[in-house]
Amino acid sequence: MDLTFTPAEEEFREELRSWLRAHIPDEWTRPGFWESLEDSESFRLRRDWERDKADAGFAGIQWPVEYGGRGGTPGMKAIYDEETVRARAPRTVNPLGLTFLAPTVMAIGTDAQKKEIIGPLLRNEVVWCQGFSEPGAGSDLAALSTKGVRDGDDFVVNGQKVWTTNAVHGDKIFTLVRTEAGSEKHRGISMLLIDMNQPGVTARPLRQMSGASEFGEVFFDDARVPVTDCLGEIGDGWRTAMLLLSFERGASGISQYTEFRRQYDEIAAVARKLGRADDPVIRDDLARVLTELECLRLHSMHVLTQVEQGRDLGFEASMTKLQWSEAFQDLWEVYDRILGEDATLDALTDGTDLRPLHAQAMWSRSVTIWGGSSQVQRNVTAERVLGLPR
Amino acid sequence: MFFALTSDQQEFGAAVRDYLAQRFDLAAVRTVVENPSDDGNPASLWRAAGEQGWTAVTVDEDHDGLGLGLVEAQVIARALGAGVAPGPWRGTVLAADAIRLAGSDEQKAAWLPKLAAGEAVGAFTTRGSAASGLPVVEYGALADVVVAPAEDGLPGLALVTGATASPVGSYDGTTRLASCSGGTVETLPGTTVELQRLLTDRATVLVAADLVGIAREALTRTVAYDRERTQFGVPVGSFQALKHALADLHVGVTMAEHAALYAAHAVDTGLADAELAVAVAKAKSSDVALQATAAMIQFHGGIGYTWEHEAHFFYKRAKRLAGQYGDVAVSRERIASLTVGA
Repeated sequence: MDLTFTPAEEEFREELRSWLRAHIPDEWTRPGFWESLEDSESFRLRRDWERDKADAGFAGIQWPVEYGGRGGTPGMKAIYDEETVRARAPRTVNPLGLTFLAPTVMAIGTDAQKKEIIGPLLRNEVVWCQGFSEPGAGSDLAALSTKGVRDGDDFVVNGQKVWTTNAVHGDKIFTLVRTEAGSEKHRGISMLLIDMNQPGVTARPLRQMSGASEFGEVFFDDARVPVTDCLGEIGDGWRTAMLLLSFERGASGISQYTEFRRQYDEIAAVARKLGRADDPVIRDDLARVLTELECLRLHSMHVLTQVEQGRDLGFEASMTKLQWSEAFQDLWEVYDRILGEDATLDALTDGTDLRPLHAQAMWSRSVTIWGGSSQVQRNVTAERVLGLPR
Repeated sequence: MFFALTSDQQEFGAAVRDYLAQRFDLAAVRTVVENPSDDGNPASLWRAAGEQGWTAVTVDEDHDGLGLGLVEAQVIARALGAGVAPGPWRGTVLAADAIRLAGSDEQKAAWLPKLAAGEAVGAFTTRGSAASGLPVVEYGALADVVVAPAEDGLPGLALVTGATASPVGSYDGTTRLASCSGGTVETLPGTTVELQRLLTDRATVLVAADLVGIAREALTRTVAYDRERTQFGVPVGSFQALKHALADLHVGVTMAEHAALYAAHAVDTGLADAELAVAVAKAKSSDVALQATAAMIQFHGGIGYTWEHEAHFFYKRAKRLAGQYGDVAVSRERIASLTVGA
């Protein structure tokens, strides 16, 4: 048992910490700051900040040096995940590009694609969206119907994507498109890299129940994409998508733990302020959540250990998602119980602004849906891990 | 970062599991369950515990022990839980721990080699006191030495030998309980309040690990059964109501495994969050073992409620251990006092 990081990793932690300390204005760490901004303003600030961070050498932590990354260890990536949350760094504007697209391009992209995509992604010059879900294809992704028809050296694309994160800010979108007429399920799909800044692509924001608009809809009306902008083989897009999604498996949950544990402490403080901290039911509720959060922390150490040992977690990644998302949702249920009849008010009687906390409570309703709903994750765990029959 | 068992630690656990599978399976457990007036410590199993170093695990090498840590001890505890194995292993290990950490040189020399070899049976309890009597002691009737609080409500541990034991009935047939009174009482001179806390924590971790073993085995057996059992022309394990419950249990048991492992390491190395880690391990393992063993009965259907089926061995053992050293509610209150405030 060794729960420490290497000296080189700890040195990296110090470097990162001091950079973050120097480059995150106090104002940004105030509760509710980001929620108070216009969506486009928040995006611009975060985009610029993230570019500076990349220039300082704190992006692409595990990417090879040849791609402009840091060439770091899985331990450094875990430290990065933890420290950025701890410093209340702004959320990345390019999560899908950084987490999913870049490693996939490194693995199977053409030389031209590697050159064209990876560098700009690292510095946020190009913001990427993921065009997978459609109105008729959510959990059942292979039911997608967006079509691409060959026209000379281009595909002409028609259809619609939905729940697209950063839809209105995206420059490009990696998109699953049915490029073989009459094909069914996961056959005949290609992953096309489509420029969103063209007349054939329209993005519209969707307002979430929280009031924010972090995602939207993307419409393709005779959008054009060169056939060379296909990632992986034409018609082999399903396999490309599975490879792409596999890059989430190494995600340990440490950033979630760090954030949720801080929220737990904030909620416990609210309980004390309201005189609810000595209610045995509330105490039991909070302790139940804390138990799950601590288990999440241990699980993140387990995942990191497996990654460092060179093992692919495969379908066990479903467990990570279930654990953090369900615990997070439970935490905010408990928050509502602490507030009781005041659960929906904008502020406490002493003026404490509850809206930033409400934003998290609303957000908690989404986490058990996106990225594979809890119901899908349970099916995966039951069938692929426990071997129960389909 | 290495949060896992080493290959040596894994092999230790596998050796215990293999022994139980080959030499002391559930049919053997049944014999113990169905003969409550026996001493509940089958000779072949106890001999193996001594010969294979299960009882020597945390005893120092100077006293013929293996000198290993609580992490290795919880590996054994987990395997014994999975096999719902009877016998005074935990009490013997904990009594040896107490003597190793707080005993005089004479006490160590007198007891540790014997306890390590399984030639003496130990017991450990935090209930009652040597002065006023010990109401419930695991294998109290068999124990050559009992480590217990010396006086009611006061710090201090005592060694009790030659006590009078009367059986205490329990529906957990995989163990034997007794109340103990009288006997010869010696103090353990090195006892401090901190050390008493530490020993209780070590006991709690070993109980948590037993519960984790019970939970994992209950789940594994239930999954295996539900893959085979057909109704409506299909395996019942293909029904989503069962799938989702079993998937959630798999996540829960895995988390409890992490929690017991971490708590063992935290207590053994004196990490700052050891107290929280122990409470988390006990809360989670108790909770998940009760869930998993209840699910074992439910998802076997009617057969799961019969005496002939072994589900009740797991369920009843989990019921008893879930309450020991603080049940879910007590463990959570400890967590709340550490993280919410009084």
